[in-house]
Amino acid sequence: MSILQSIKMAAKSIGSNKGRSFLTMLGIIIGIAAVIILVSIVQAQQDAVMEQFEKMGTNQIQVYYYQWGSGGTPDYTKELEQLCAELGPEKVIGITPQKYAWSNSVRYQSKRAEYPNIYLASDKYSVCSGYKLKGGRDLCYLDIQKMNRVCVLGSKVAADLFNYADPVGKKITISGDEYTVVGYYETKGVSEEYGGSYRDNIVVVPYTLEKRINKSSGGGSSSYEFVVKAASSDTVQEVSNRVKAFLEARVDTNQGYVDVYSNDQWQQSQTEGFAEQAVLLGSIAAISLLVGGIGIMNIMLVTVTERTREIGIRKAIGAPRRSIITQFLIEAAMVSTLGGIIGMIVGCLGTVVAGKLVLDTIVAPPPYILAVSFVVSVAFGVIFGVYPAGRASRLQPVEALRNE
Amino acid sequence: MNTAYSSSPPERLIELSDVYKIYGEGLESEVRALDGVSLTIDRGEFTAIIGSSGSGKSTMMNILGCLDLPTYGEYYLHDELVSSLTDQELSNIRNREIGFIFQGFNLIPALTALENVELPLIYSGAGRRARKDAKDLYGADAKLMTSRQELAYAALEKVGIDHRANHKPSEMSGGQQQRVAIARAIVTNPPLILADEPTGNLDSHTTEDVMRILRDLHAAGSTVVLITHDRDIAASADRAIRLLDGRVVYDSKRDGDDGSKGDPLGSTGDPLGAEGRASA
Repeated sequence: MSILQSIKMAAKSIGSNKGRSFLTMLGIIIGIAAVIILVSIVQAQQDAVMEQFEKMGTNQIQVYYYQWGSGGTPDYTKELEQLCAELGPEKVIGITPQKYAWSNSVRYQSKRAEYPNIYLASDKYSVCSGYKLKGGRDLCYLDIQKMNRVCVLGSKVAADLFNYADPVGKKITISGDEYTVVGYYETKGVSEEYGGSYRDNIVVVPYTLEKRINKSSGGGSSSYEFVVKAASSDTVQEVSNRVKAFLEARVDTNQGYVDVYSNDQWQQSQTEGFAEQAVLLGSIAAISLLVGGIGIMNIMLVTVTERTREIGIRKAIGAPRRSIITQFLIEAAMVSTLGGIIGMIVGCLGTVVAGKLVLDTIVAPPPYILAVSFVVSVAFGVIFGVYPAGRASRLQPVEALRNE
Repeated sequence: MNTAYSSSPPERLIELSDVYKIYGEGLESEVRALDGVSLTIDRGEFTAIIGSSGSGKSTMMNILGCLDLPTYGEYYLHDELVSSLTDQELSNIRNREIGFIFQGFNLIPALTALENVELPLIYSGAGRRARKDAKDLYGADAKLMTSRQELAYAALEKVGIDHRANHKPSEMSGGQQQRVAIARAIVTNPPLILADEPTGNLDSHTTEDVMRILRDLHAAGSTVVLITHDRDIAASADRAIRLLDGRVVYDSKRDGDDGSKGDPLGSTGDPLGAEGRASA
């Protein structure tokens, strides 16, 4: 008997009992749909977070140290720049001081910026922190050297003060002193969840102007902060180890503190968290799929019992065991595959709906999960059809015919 | 009855040699459905096996039809020892050598008459083979002439039920269903037709139709074995074998029969004969 004949027979048998066939499929439909929806949503969420990480800047190392006692915290800016230069561009892209100053008095004419973060930094700030220039120019080496009173604005400060007019060349006042705006950055586009407009609400000024801005501290810094941009994720660890060793050799940790911290560690732990979530949700969905498969086996066993007489007739007119096995296997595989296909459709629709509800975007299931779903549903039919089909084929024709 | 063919020795189709079928052997509830049966049936014979319920005639049918194997003894079909065959070989024999006609028709309810008749051809691949042979002979147009459906349709035509080809069994009367079942039995052109109480569920009118078809098949050369409890039905056959408690108690060929349609059983005064008559 040909496979085509078996498929025709199976289709006939499924079609003659539509209600039950559908109920049998329901387990597979729900299982496949659940797997597709969960995997797609988790994947989309993960992609979104990775995108945020990219925007926030990757391969960044935050460096922080302070020391109390006489003389305050020593300034190792030059030495750290020297160290990074020695490590070379294949390991370190740049280093900038990043000292935070706060002022609620950043103004342009009558307009005031809303609590911007003022960063005292070098010309490497945009490279290290991942800002792109939108207009004008960035800070330059001479600005730092000559302590020029210039600044570069984040997109939010630029909008607050200039309302889409070009800020380049305008003079703003910070804590009473005038600074010339030389350029402004593009928005980082980070979602509110990961800092959002906070990252665009910045003013960057040369770090050599620290004394002028932090008038209250009256000279010596209490702490130093730097951002180091490593060349790639492979060199982050090495660079941060070198920087840490360098500082720990100089800062007395009994009287101070050294912290060298890489974003990557946090990002990695976030990513691992997502992987764990995916495995957990995937397992739950897989269990429901398994239950669906057992449902198919159960119904196929019932079908074999119900159709004992039919099997007897088929054997009496010359059906070999192989034909009976093929017939029931194909029937199980067809029920399962059909359920899988319906499940895939439900899963795709469900993913769109769930994506809209949970992530508020259109989420499309990744193609690999659809391919996997199809293969799994065919395989489930075959695997869970083997036992009932074997049982059907082993029925003795006499016994089967006696069954009324 | 063999006088007409006596010029050449009859070809032996069936040989049972001291066949036992014992259920629950050794137990107190042991049942000997067949208790040492030996008989031979030649090709072209029309034999009736008669017995009341419990006489072992159904067991006999199962063993003759290769649906069951004897506990002891040997069954040769076409000089082949059936108990030595594999499952696949038994399937092939049931498919090609034997046509079954059952009391309960045993059609598959989900299939139409035509599809039911096609089934044995599907299992034997006969349609495909016929198509291939025809293709070799007639070229590409051949499949129009020898499809499986056509073979099945021809079989339905032969028993006069082709007008119901696309009806399901549930849409047909008992007599019509039995004709479809006969069409299914003969579609592979088997040398042996086994009919187990083929008229048991039919009224007297359709019974006559079915018996006429069986006689026609016999006349066309088939070997027919008819199993029945009904003496009147058995009278259609050329040879009568009577079973009682799993033993052959009478065989018109062995015990001498004048070949007439007389009542060979009445002479034994067997009450079971009367019973058979009463229920007919």
